[in-house]
Amino acid sequence: MPALAIDKLTFRYATRPGVEDAPWQLSLPSLHMEAGEQALMVSPSGAGKSTLLNLIAGLLDPASGTVLIEGQNIHTLRGASRDAFRGQRVGMIFQTFNLLTGFSALENVMVALLFAGVAEREHRPKALAMLERLGVRRIDAPVDEMSVGQQQRVAVARAMVCNPALVLADEPTASLDPANAQGAMDLIQSVCREKGAALLCVSHDPSFAGRFERKESLTTESAESKQGRKEGCES
Amino acid sequence: MTDFTIILRSLRVRLFSTLTTILTVGVAVALILVLLTMRNSGQRAFDRGSGDMHLLVSGDASPLVAVLNSVFYANPPRRPIPWDRYEQLQTQAPWAYAVPTAIGDSFRGMPVVATTPEMFSRFRPVINEAWRLQEGRFFENDFEVVVGASAASTSGLHVGDTVFLTHGFPKHAGAVRGDVVRAGEAVPSSKEEGHEQEHHVEGQEGEESAAHLHREFGCRVVGILSPTYSPHDRAIFTTLNSSWILHAHDRREREGVFDKPGAVEQTTAMDLTPVDRKITGVYLRLEGRGESNAPANLPQVFDMLRKDGSLTVAQPTQEVATLFRIVDNINRLFLVVAGVVMVASAVSIMLALYNSMEQRRRQIAVMRVLGASAGRIFSLVLTESALIGLCGAVGGVVLAFGGAFAARGILRERLGLIIEPAFSPQIMLAVVLVTVALACLAGIIPAMVAYRVSVAKSLRAAA
Repeated sequence: MPALAIDKLTFRYATRPGVEDAPWQLSLPSLHMEAGEQALMVSPSGAGKSTLLNLIAGLLDPASGTVLIEGQNIHTLRGASRDAFRGQRVGMIFQTFNLLTGFSALENVMVALLFAGVAEREHRPKALAMLERLGVRRIDAPVDEMSVGQQQRVAVARAMVCNPALVLADEPTASLDPANAQGAMDLIQSVCREKGAALLCVSHDPSFAGRFERKESLTTESAESKQGRKEGCES
Repeated sequence: MTDFTIILRSLRVRLFSTLTTILTVGVAVALILVLLTMRNSGQRAFDRGSGDMHLLVSGDASPLVAVLNSVFYANPPRRPIPWDRYEQLQTQAPWAYAVPTAIGDSFRGMPVVATTPEMFSRFRPVINEAWRLQEGRFFENDFEVVVGASAASTSGLHVGDTVFLTHGFPKHAGAVRGDVVRAGEAVPSSKEEGHEQEHHVEGQEGEESAAHLHREFGCRVVGILSPTYSPHDRAIFTTLNSSWILHAHDRREREGVFDKPGAVEQTTAMDLTPVDRKITGVYLRLEGRGESNAPANLPQVFDMLRKDGSLTVAQPTQEVATLFRIVDNINRLFLVVAGVVMVASAVSIMLALYNSMEQRRRQIAVMRVLGASAGRIFSLVLTESALIGLCGAVGGVVLAFGGAFAARGILRERLGLIIEPAFSPQIMLAVVLVTVALACLAGIIPAMVAYRVSVAKSLRAAA
């Protein structure tokens, strides 16, 4: 069973004032990834890469098409079930890390376990093991007092701690300098391989191309509509 | 990690806002609790103070002032009543008792009530409750004193101690060096110690006179009263003669009696004249059946006594009721204000949480990505609001205890009113529950905002 199976996925942006019958903005005919497979989605900024990740994570609903994660169509799940499924099977790494300020590194990772429904007694040992694996020091320090590199590691640990089937990385190294970016990407890819998770990384950095065996691109049908307001069928 | 940890972290991140909101709620809760408690306790204290007397006669300007001064020891009464007028009064009606009181001396700011043994044998400070002693006996001779429960605990007096009373009320109450000789210690002779000038106060006669310690007359403590939870607990009781002799001594000194060759600087009961024999009030109870506080002839006797323009006649129960009608209106106003403050504090919870939502959209979006449902986010914010309300309510209860005891001290000092704050657990629980319920209501709007946070938009804004 593939970790990710996308078929005929479309998402429509709203029309701009004065522009009638706006075309489909985002379109992905097919994307299949097996467990442990890693793919890079390359396209220019503003092409809808983040929107695609939100569609896959079930944060947006598509206009048409299906997204199956381990055979489960995430968009047929409703409310809390969809949120729980995402928490358990999908890990997300963001460009700005999106760590919870006021929480320690350890707590940031444990929050993921809490919302994924993992038993409370397992939170600390699992989070500690993952942070140790990723070389995070000062696990009890508030994340806003940590270096950018350490924050990146905490973000990766949080995405990986629930053993997701699929990891979605949205420009995960955009906040790092080139040297650290390569190191961070090494880390993300190696952990995903270790855990057998499929990794879909979106980036506009061409230097990453050589790291991935698969490169995908995203089709947008009209440049004009990029300025338009997105019409969300948000979950 | 639990949901509660997340709530605590959220509160800690906005610590200043959280603390000020909790403080606002706490003050409102404390205000309501103090008002509710002090109102009940205050009324009880007033009801207890006048005991079983039907009437009070005094020289004060108005009946309410007479009751406050002669029963609650707010201030020394201003105009004295001659002893012969009291003797005449005794024959004017069929009294169960007519207990004279003379208030004008003090000990460390506490009133000294000069009276007769009937004070203890006939008058009851609380209806159906006679005086009781926790130590010693009632006075039998001059220069013996019986100390009220609160006065004893404040001053540390015990049976066998000797105290030196102050004529008048000093402006600054407190211990004066050598005003107590503990049991077993040698009492200095009157020749070594004269009376000691302190400072000017309003005297018994309403004119400016000096408050001074009478070291010539030591009064022996013979009894400590059990608490009555009335203003009498802070009084010290002695015989009328003891007080009169003190004042006669001053008079004779002013007249130069002690300056004459061979004169002994000593004053006894033999030296008293009608000028010295004055009282400031009379506690009166009519003969009647049972414990009735409204015998049939009370109105007639009341009217008859009022015909004497030199006296002020008060029915303490009516005066207390009048006072409480006035106070009750103010209390109601305060309660309305406290209620408004309570609602305002709920609004402040709502605003604090609502304003924080703008900063928390990204965090909420991240939690949603991590698997938290919208309903769970709603309950997290609602619980946070309830927790602020609960902390405020608990803080308010603590504040109320502190406030009530502070108010108790002030009322005791200023009005001579002993109010024991009695916090009803039911009232406290009700106020706490209402506060938490209000906080939950206040949390609904911010919780709805959190519930409806657009995850994709919030993450995009953060990128």
